Amino acid sequence: MLEYLAIIFSAILVNNIVFAQFLGICPFIGVSKNLSSALGMGAAVTFVMAVSSAVTWLLQHYVLLPLGLAYVQTIAFILVIAVLVQMLEIIMKKTSPGLYAALGVFLPLITTNCAVLGVAIIIAQKDYDFVYSIVYAVATALGFALALMIMAGIRTQLSITDVPQPMRGVPVALITAGILAMAFMGFAGIKF
Amino acid sequence: MKITAMTASKVLLDGIIKRNPTFVLLLGMCPTLGTTSSALTGMSMGLATMAVLTCSNAAISSIKNLVPAMVRIPAFIVVIASFVTILQMVMQAWTPGLYSNLGIFIPLIVVNCILLGRAEAFASKNSIWLSICDGLGTGAGFTIALTLIGLVRELLGAGSVFDFQVYDSSYAALLFILAPGAFIVLGLLIALFNRITNS
Amino acid sequence: MLLSLTGLTVVAGLALGAVNYFTTEPIAKAREASRREAIAAVLPEFDNLEDIEYRSLKLYEASLNGNTIGIAVETYSDNGFSGRIDIMAGFDSEGALYGYRVLNHAETAGLGAKMGEWFQNDNVIGTTATIAVKADGGDVDAITGATITSRAFTDAINRAREAYENYSHDSK
Repeated sequence: MLEYLAIIFSAILVNNIVFAQFLGICPFIGVSKNLSSALGMGAAVTFVMAVSSAVTWLLQHYVLLPLGLAYVQTIAFILVIAVLVQMLEIIMKKTSPGLYAALGVFLPLITTNCAVLGVAIIIAQKDYDFVYSIVYAVATALGFALALMIMAGIRTQLSITDVPQPMRGVPVALITAGILAMAFMGFAGIKF
Repeated sequence: MKITAMTASKVLLDGIIKRNPTFVLLLGMCPTLGTTSSALTGMSMGLATMAVLTCSNAAISSIKNLVPAMVRIPAFIVVIASFVTILQMVMQAWTPGLYSNLGIFIPLIVVNCILLGRAEAFASKNSIWLSICDGLGTGAGFTIALTLIGLVRELLGAGSVFDFQVYDSSYAALLFILAPGAFIVLGLLIALFNRITNS
Repeated sequence: MLLSLTGLTVVAGLALGAVNYFTTEPIAKAREASRREAIAAVLPEFDNLEDIEYRSLKLYEASLNGNTIGIAVETYSDNGFSGRIDIMAGFDSEGALYGYRVLNHAETAGLGAKMGEWFQNDNVIGTTATIAVKADGGDVDAITGATITSRAFTDAINRAREAYENYSHDSK
């Protein structure tokens, strides 16, 4: 139990996927402009990451490794993720059109979210077992959502301040992210 | 013949300046932040990406008439992922030190928005030769951007340039080779680029 | 539509299979070469190397002209600041630490990452007993601002020494 708590704490705060591992930056910059889209993206990513980690784990351990096809990992994983996102879009359109209208535009973006593929690869590299992988994936996604929401809050404030012309938009967002990364560094080294 | 040559070089130059993937298009941020703690790793990452981009652009351009529009995104992904895997295997075999330096960012070239972006916007609509030029130009722009960011971070954060010690590292501001430094240097350089190209 | 996608995947698969066929051996050779290089950096000259699996660690018995001149241990510590650190430690025939080489780590650049060079001094190299940082009562100067990494380093070296001594004892 303690080791699950440790990995949750570590994935959300200590090794935050955005501020420490630099994954998921593109959507992080693109979708963090307001709180509602940040929440939507965070929710969508959490779901996709959890399911894709489970599926890629099964693929790795029951197909790729036994057949000696480890080098096909990159292709196989990204195709799994692309298919999952497509399926999720179709299911969402049919079952909850309201949710689809809110999240719909983010879904295709998740395919190219390096965090999703990155987490799948990290799990394969570190050889976590099945339950640990899911916990790790969900915790990482929550860390991503946390980063998004903090940024959204700050950027909403920034949008009404007077920022110098060359810095407007992405540059000031990146500097903000840098300061946030510094704050998150304070969690480093914490262990259970 | 002359018009094609001009267009080719225009395509090349556009990729470096007017459509620089890092400073203008703001694509491919993840490897930009993750591999620029030194000028050498930044440059290597840029060159690796350029290789995959050129090959995938060429391949996609040559099959653009064979792939129906509905399945083009999965098709692009298969092509890009194949070239990334080939790069992975080649690097593991012949440049293992570099391979372990760049770590997870090599397989992540697959989801580098630059590749899918250029495939969709250019390679699927233009000739093979121009697509190759676009790959080389955009890749060169990416490499220059990464090398520049890596240079700044390495010089300020470790006191060295391409592993050549310029001043004693104990005077260096360590922050710049850590995570926050990546964000800050990138943000400032984009702002600088905006300032230069707007004035 | 599905046909073109399948066709593409088949072509891609064949291309990958071919590249894999040509790179499997060079990859294995590169791995072996870097391992040999790490061992050569931590032991005196040898002409023969024997791989041993001992209590979940990898040991390498090196000999010159038939006489064992040292043993290299692929050791680790999970107590690094950012997780696991892998180190190759070499012990000569007298049991002194001949050298070490950091194989793998995720420590902070400019701080913990300095352990590659920081500990190449007489308080570590040439020791014949377990080592500890000064804060723990030993003689080793920890890296300034990287006590956790320094402690993990001594943990790895001591683990290696323990394996070396147990192995030497068992094989007598």
